[in-house]
Amino acid sequence: MCRASTLCCSAWQVVGIRDGFDGLLFPDRYKDGGLLTLSQAFLETVSASAAPLLGTASCSDPFHVRTIDAENQIEELDCSDELLNKIHEQNIAAVISVVGMQPLSILFKLQRKGLNSVCVPASVENDVAVTQLSFGSNSTLSCAVELLENARHAAQSSRRVGVVEVLGEHTGWLALQAGIAVGADAILIPEIPFDVQKVSAKLLKRSDAGRYGLVVVSEGARARQGNEQETAAVHRGSLKASLAPLATGVKSAHVINRQGLTAETVALEIQHLTDLKTYPLALGQLVKGGQPSAVDRQLGIGYGAAAVRAVQEERSGVVVSFQPPDLKFVPLAEAINKIRTVPLDSLFVQTARSLGISLGD
Amino acid sequence: MRAIDPQNPTGLVLNIQHFCTHDGPGMRTTVFLKACSLRCNWCSNPESIHPKPEIAYDSKKCIGKKQCGFCLKPPFPEGAFYAIDGAAEDRVQVNWDLAGECGQDCASICPTGAISMFGHEMTVDEVLGEVEQDSTFYRESGGGITVSGGECLLQPDFTAALLKGAHERGINTAIETACNVPWRFVEQVLPHVDTMLHDHKLTDPVRHKKWTGVENTRILENFRKAYETFPDTQFVARTPLIPGVNDDEAHIRAVLAFIKPYKNVIDYELLPYHRFGESKYSFLGRIYEMEDFKSPTEESLAHLRSIIDEQFGRKRD
Repeated sequence: MCRASTLCCSAWQVVGIRDGFDGLLFPDRYKDGGLLTLSQAFLETVSASAAPLLGTASCSDPFHVRTIDAENQIEELDCSDELLNKIHEQNIAAVISVVGMQPLSILFKLQRKGLNSVCVPASVENDVAVTQLSFGSNSTLSCAVELLENARHAAQSSRRVGVVEVLGEHTGWLALQAGIAVGADAILIPEIPFDVQKVSAKLLKRSDAGRYGLVVVSEGARARQGNEQETAAVHRGSLKASLAPLATGVKSAHVINRQGLTAETVALEIQHLTDLKTYPLALGQLVKGGQPSAVDRQLGIGYGAAAVRAVQEERSGVVVSFQPPDLKFVPLAEAINKIRTVPLDSLFVQTARSLGISLGD
Repeated sequence: MRAIDPQNPTGLVLNIQHFCTHDGPGMRTTVFLKACSLRCNWCSNPESIHPKPEIAYDSKKCIGKKQCGFCLKPPFPEGAFYAIDGAAEDRVQVNWDLAGECGQDCASICPTGAISMFGHEMTVDEVLGEVEQDSTFYRESGGGITVSGGECLLQPDFTAALLKGAHERGINTAIETACNVPWRFVEQVLPHVDTMLHDHKLTDPVRHKKWTGVENTRILENFRKAYETFPDTQFVARTPLIPGVNDDEAHIRAVLAFIKPYKNVIDYELLPYHRFGESKYSFLGRIYEMEDFKSPTEESLAHLRSIIDEQFGRKRD
């Protein structure tokens, strides 16, 4: 399923499905077939950062599969029955899907049609509501901190204000945690609409010493209402892809990549309001490229073990949820339509404020 | 293709629009059918693409969970509509993955019309009954009925029956089509068509595929066959002019070269790109991918039209 590989258990043999469900639906696309047997011996040869092994499918929806038939007709077909049949034919007893927030709805629909599924939450934005820590978010945070450190040094040496955009369309966990870790001057997150004048004032105050600064922005950060022009400009940054029925999403050749637009908008506004020179930068997908952190390795093993336990206990349609110190199971119906946003009174927000970091409000 | 009862043919109709002046000769009533076999990025009728009725949501009309909240309960599918706990925003949100299962029974519950359906079944007689209301205007203006879409040729039984019925009532007929359908569908409908407005979107097959989803080889083949098989039908070629995509002189000249040998192709029109359909994308939970595209300039339009006029031996004031 979307942006994560899927594992499945077949009579306690483990096989991986390539590119979400594509490996089952379109096995002919793969030289070695759409399924990959994950034996113990094989797994011992695989490194921890072997994400490309199974691949990912960022917008895989078996309910709307775009096809061109022999008559040159384009149609979005519901292939969910075909998928379930193939799962049955392959003698796959349960599917363990490593998924983010959006694909949970598709798995919920499949589960209602009879798919025996267990979900492991994986999200670099840490936005899956039913778990405290999604798989992958800690590694991304580590990578983001490293890159932001570099951006800060670059700002210092070039006497500029770096405005660095990080992933986070709906939530600001990554920007907030990474921004605090590197001592940013301002952190702008979707949960707190910002006033660019306040950000500028903070930078002017800070930059007296060295005329440089660092602003970390989530890609979904919004300007405060009341300044329509800014709001509209920044809001466009969130339009990237959709899992809506018939949406062409990232599969289209023409989805306009708006990555970096929020950073650009904020950087430009700061330049308009001050005499500071800025440089916008989008870390984008780069933060996904690092090695898995120790926390993620432990978490991944924990999630995996819990998922297997769920299959053993014949639980279906559940998401493994990390609720420290426990790993619990939450029904899929309770996991959809929720986003884990940063509470305004959270410890991270309080910490940022106490460190004098501007949140733009 | 839809199976229909020949005694009472029905079609999936999106909308019937009266007093149209750009869909063929005179003042016309345009019947928009649902389903399309292309996926043009600039489509101004995104609600016409899907071959089934589909749910739409206009959040501006929603009065919120506190005052209403009907969509949060059955018969709406679980999770299709939802409210965010503790959020200042009271209007409901849509989970488009689940909302696709909603039918008319759901839409009719929404008291403000925020939730509605695009597309409904209508019989030929029902459509003709509505079309005939405008017959005075047809007589005065030389107009009639135009069947559009979507792709009206994807419902060939219904479209043929509708146009045949219109002819029997003395109403002039036209269709708007991209012709990306099997030839047998074209052959079935065209005997009942007075004017066929057809799109030459892009000349190059690779670029055609890039922007519309399919190559144009069969489309062009259908055009040629149609010109030759139906010499008494009038054909009007059209190009929706999208800056940066197909507003080049080479494309216009290629279309002119294609239609030139056929005397029954009476005109070639350019339809400047507009963004009137943009809001409908959000009603359907889709993203409008042409946000950065602008309408063609007057100068560019005038220049390209002058090339066409020259070909047709016309002078424009």
